[in-house]
Amino acid sequence: MIEFKDVSKTYPGSDRPVVNDLSFEVPEGEICVLVGPSGCGKTTTMRMVNRLIEPSGGEILIDGEPNTAMSGTQLRRKIGYAIQQIGLFPHRTIAENIATVPSLLGWDKQRITARADELLELVGLEPNDYRDRYPAELSGGQQQRVGVARAMAADPPIMLMDEPFGAVDPITRERLQDEFLSIQQNIKKTIVFVTHDIDEAIKMGDKIAILKQGGFLAQYDTPENILANPDSEFVASFVGTDRILKRLSLVRVGDMELEPANGNAADLPRISGNLTVRDALSELIGSGHSEAVVENDGKKGLLTIEAIEALTRSGEAPRG
Amino acid sequence: MGEALALLQDLSLEEPRLIEWDWIAENFWEDIVPAIQGHIYLSFVSVAIALAISLPVGILAARYRKIYPPVTFVTGILYSIPSLALFSILISVPGIVIGATPVIIALVAYSLLILIRNVVAGIDSVPAETIDAARGMGLTQGQILFRVELPLALPVIVAGIRIATVTIIGIATIGAYISGGGLGKLIFDGINRNFPTMVITGAVLATALAILADLLLLGLERYLRPWARRRRA
Amino acid sequence: MGSILEVLGRPGFSQLLLTHVELSALALIIAILIAVPVAIAVRNTPIGATLAINVGNIGRAVPSLALLALALPFFGFGFTSALLALAALAIPPILINASTGLREVDPGVIDAARGMGLSESQVLSRIQLPIAAPVIFAGIRTSAVQVVASATLATFIGGGGLGDLIVEGFQRGDTAILLAGALSVAVLSIITELGFGGIERALTPKGLRIAQK
Repeated sequence: MIEFKDVSKTYPGSDRPVVNDLSFEVPEGEICVLVGPSGCGKTTTMRMVNRLIEPSGGEILIDGEPNTAMSGTQLRRKIGYAIQQIGLFPHRTIAENIATVPSLLGWDKQRITARADELLELVGLEPNDYRDRYPAELSGGQQQRVGVARAMAADPPIMLMDEPFGAVDPITRERLQDEFLSIQQNIKKTIVFVTHDIDEAIKMGDKIAILKQGGFLAQYDTPENILANPDSEFVASFVGTDRILKRLSLVRVGDMELEPANGNAADLPRISGNLTVRDALSELIGSGHSEAVVENDGKKGLLTIEAIEALTRSGEAPRG
Repeated sequence: MGEALALLQDLSLEEPRLIEWDWIAENFWEDIVPAIQGHIYLSFVSVAIALAISLPVGILAARYRKIYPPVTFVTGILYSIPSLALFSILISVPGIVIGATPVIIALVAYSLLILIRNVVAGIDSVPAETIDAARGMGLTQGQILFRVELPLALPVIVAGIRIATVTIIGIATIGAYISGGGLGKLIFDGINRNFPTMVITGAVLATALAILADLLLLGLERYLRPWARRRRA
Repeated sequence: MGSILEVLGRPGFSQLLLTHVELSALALIIAILIAVPVAIAVRNTPIGATLAINVGNIGRAVPSLALLALALPFFGFGFTSALLALAALAIPPILINASTGLREVDPGVIDAARGMGLSESQVLSRIQLPIAAPVIFAGIRTSAVQVVASATLATFIGGGGLGDLIVEGFQRGDTAILLAGALSVAVLSIITELGFGGIERALTPKGLRIAQK
């Protein structure tokens, strides 16, 4: 569990803070995404957790203890670190790269080799093929996977990830995001994740911290709540004018409460229950009908525009 | 008798002073200026000849890659022979007497490697799209060479000229040993006469000349590369 | 040709060769011991590194004979004097390459290394130096060839070495001696170039060699 208490950072020689009195908590086992426009201090904030940057004010507590309780170097060996440029050591093999922190911690060779192979498999790279290769031989997407594996090598409870999927094309990025989310289902690490992309934040985050320029915290909440009830003009415009549609992408159409489809549903289009409501809406509009049948585990429900509207109204705070 | 001995002792123990400014003032026009002139002459002529050879050879090597490795090999060997050695070998050739000629031959030989390499590198650095566009606009091979490739290759070529010039100025000092003239003459004469002033004058002037040439050509190089200039601004 | 070989067979020859190699080797070692630590010290400061590179560039322009000659009034004739001058001569290429090599290590790699918990000295010894090693060594190689060539000139300030043979040949008007000296220096120079080239290749970490392709 990571707690930020009034954390600020101002660089000497500058009169404006880069990070301004941030206070929030990252619950254990959850992904907290720091997102915002450039200059909002998100990367600086992340780097203060492992003290690559030291705060000018406030403190950061990890499991109740200030992160200054031990030396920076020791602290970092307990925190996974994956960055956008990846930074694989070009003069070391993939296996040696992954083994970096475990060797520093003094694990024995067998354990290190086994762990490296385990992680390569986890990130989808066949160990026999990849362990002895060098970074220059790998594609961007493969390097990024190794970067994540390397960050997880010593099985740290906390991970810091700064645009870790940033250096690849959108298709590969989506795949990496999905794979990482499914890994996280099992390992449940406490993760601080930085991105400039609100869609990535919504997808990856259990909690999202939206930061404004100048390092202010604009809103800290779950993706659903931020989309449903943006705190301010800034947040509303940052999440995008399509925020209602974004909300719809958070729910499976099969999980909606729908009226059962009745008799005259024979000529209506069929939609799989696994689609997001947003995609289902898209199909519905494209079909030229105003209703569709959702097939979900053998049950058939009737999807109407009104049902979707009702969904968007739930959870939304009354305006006023 | 005691006085005479004391006087003798004084004379024999007198160490020459490090820099005798009077000597410099007296011999400025007689010895120093001709040395400077001779040095500039040697260097300039050598760079000019070397360039006259390297440009066409470099252009050919850039065009017909197969000749590049042997050219590099030969000029590389020439480059690795120490100057005094090369001078000695040259004057052993019947027909070549000591003087400026073998010095110039050697200086040219030394700078071929770097100049040819930079001409090739400069031409290589011209983006293929640029040449493609030129061809598409209807320029002939010759026009492309003179109006597109060489002008764009110029910064790299000038970089090579700079390194070659500094090297030549340096080695030209040694040429004085085989009567080639130049600032080395002051150095060698000074050593022979145990006259530090001449040695220091020659050495300092040669160094100054080399550094001056380096900085001037560096300025030219930067001037020719506006994009590097703007980044520093 | 035969008389050249005779000259090489002379008892004094091996002494000259030895002195030449000693001068060169010691000068190179001294230069490395000065230039590399300086480059390491300034590796993280842009101003320091730029200064080091600029000093190196100016140093490169200094004519070898001038430097040797300048040693004379201050240190006199002899081996030590020549050694000091040659060491000064050998510093610039190593300083330039070491500074550049260390600065050119991908900042992302260094950030990742620090972020993972390597201490500053570990980042230097396990990451920066191994990655910069080929460039640093290229500088050492350039310097080595230059020193071997310039050591020929040590003869003019009484430093000994194969230059003595060339000068002797000159003064006696004896072509055989002259050429014996010239050729032995030339061969030594080429051997140095090839030898260091081989070491340079051997020192390039495999991962970087692949990246270069």
